[in-house]
Amino acid sequence: MRLDGRRRGGTERGGVISSEAATAEGRVEVRDLTKTFGSVTAVDSLSFTVEPGQVTGFLGPNGAGKTTTLRMALGLITPDRGTATIGGTPYAALPRPATRVGAVLETAFHPGRSGRDHLRVYCRAAGLPTRRADDVLAQVGLTPAGGRRAGGYSLGMRQRLGLATALLGDPRVLVLDEPANGLDPEGIQWLRGFLRHLAHDQGRTVLVSSHLLAEVEQTADRVVIVGAGKLVREGSLAELRDESAGTVLVRTPASAQLAAALTGAGAAVESTAPDALTVTGMTTEQVGAHAFSAGVELHELRARTTGLEEVYFRLTSGAEQYAATGGGAS
Amino acid sequence: MNAAVDLVRAEWTKLLTTKVGYWLVAVGALMAAGFTALFTAFAGDQGSGPGGPGGPGLPAVGTEAYASLVAGIPAQVVVIAVVLGVIGTTQEYRHRTATPTFLVTPRRGRVVVAKLVAYAVAGLVLAVAAVAATVLVATLYGGARGGAPDWTADAVGTLLRSGLALVVYAVIGVGVGALVRNQVGAVVGALVYLFVVEPIVASVPATADAYRWLPGGALAALTGDGRGTDLLGTWEGGALLLGYGLLAAVLGTVLAVRRDVV
Ligand SMILES: Nc1ncnc2c1ncn2[C@@H]1O[C@H](COP(=O)(O)OP(=O)(O)OP(=O)(O)O)[C@@H](O)[C@H]1O
Ligand SMILES: [Mg+2]
Repeated sequence: MRLDGRRRGGTERGGVISSEAATAEGRVEVRDLTKTFGSVTAVDSLSFTVEPGQVTGFLGPNGAGKTTTLRMALGLITPDRGTATIGGTPYAALPRPATRVGAVLETAFHPGRSGRDHLRVYCRAAGLPTRRADDVLAQVGLTPAGGRRAGGYSLGMRQRLGLATALLGDPRVLVLDEPANGLDPEGIQWLRGFLRHLAHDQGRTVLVSSHLLAEVEQTADRVVIVGAGKLVREGSLAELRDESAGTVLVRTPASAQLAAALTGAGAAVESTAPDALTVTGMTTEQVGAHAFSAGVELHELRARTTGLEEVYFRLTSGAEQYAATGGGAS
Repeated sequence: MNAAVDLVRAEWTKLLTTKVGYWLVAVGALMAAGFTALFTAFAGDQGSGPGGPGGPGLPAVGTEAYASLVAGIPAQVVVIAVVLGVIGTTQEYRHRTATPTFLVTPRRGRVVVAKLVAYAVAGLVLAVAAVAATVLVATLYGGARGGAPDWTADAVGTLLRSGLALVVYAVIGVGVGALVRNQVGAVVGALVYLFVVEPIVASVPATADAYRWLPGGALAALTGDGRGTDLLGTWEGGALLLGYGLLAAVLGTVLAVRRDVV
């Protein structure tokens, strides 16, 4: 599973890279990117930073602008405004981009060409030795199918071929657009482990997009969430998890009295029914203590974990609403 | 320099690892052989067209006119050369491999230039195959009918210029493909242009004058098949044809660099 690091002199591989220079080299910075297709603003003043050594999930519902953003970062689409840099340099200005950045976008190959020949084409174009084709085939577990026409590959095999293409130049930065599409549960499991290994053990930058939080939840350390082309949230998954905790449900006949007491103590209280309250910012113990000292009778007291998925949905559904009403109320 | 060579080799690898290139060269050679066999079989027959029996027909085998006619045959397969070049660029868009291609080489102009060079060489291979097929059939079959062509300097010159035309048309094809991007559209467009538009322009009196400035007119001038007296000179025609090749290449390059790859 270890990648071949011999060709890049001096750079330590296989261990966590900690030096400042190495970190800067693997940093992806998106600044103020904007792209309009006709009347659709696909990406709108988007800025975020992706650091090496972590898996960053790039999340957003369908049509949020993820693919457009990644293609702009890779020099395939010219932005209307803004910049994207890899280690401080725009992709198109990198001297040997295949050795710096590997990208898995939609699966693209000539159906009549074998997987191995497909890889050899890009070895030649990138000035890499053609034996790299066999290396990466082995890395993604495609060696037995390497000589077959790629047109006959299953969806999962195509995804693996795409990943193999991205790995040809042993790049420090990996960008993947919905790589789990078409993978079976075993394949998804494998991909998760593979991406974590590349980021955590080898210190690479891994940016992986998805429209499903569940898909990156077990892989990503950080998430960048977009909706309608705009940044909705950028932060660690742990932060997002904190946000999803801390809701307490209370049922009480004296709801107004308890609400006043809790609000006075700094909690956010929402009345969901005549006898029910939803409390944010307090644990069940704290709510119980306040109810006791206020002399309020409780019929139910329980913590409700909203779940990450719900937080993600709440964050992005606002953006969808925004998109649907064309900039009206949100 | 090394990187440029790598890019051209990558294009060759693409061409050699799919079947279409082999097929096109084979079809081109077969077409040239077929035309030559046809002209040889009916060599010396009296014309039976508008001129009526006894009008100008095909020159008899062994004559200088026969050699000159046969030497121009490779130029009849320019359509194959165009299709070869067109497919070379459009299949990148058809199979979406333009994405990995431009990811490896973000300076897209270099990719187009590499394709132009690679397909000029591919056109040369096609030209060698077509010329060889022509010479082979004319020599064997013509000889069997009593007069293999006498390969004079003139005839050989025409043969070589016919082959050269194939190289230029392959280059034009690459440029057209980069402009149009849609494979079916580009191939059909090229066929319609070659087999409908140019013949009409050439035969309608009002526009016949313009024909000499079109690629077909330039080709006719270059290969001297004697279709008309108001064509350009041989090398002027060749230069014009080359100009069309360069124009297609430059336009194709500029557009490939500017357009988004989605
Ligand atoms: N080439 C294009 N021409 C016109 N509109 C486009 C083009 N590419 C994208 N769009 C529009 O831009 C918006 C963002 O599209 P994009 O593909 O970037 O979204 P996405 O986040 O990748 O969605 P998904 O999760 O479905 O892949 C959409 O409204 C889409 O219709
Ligand atoms: Mg997408």
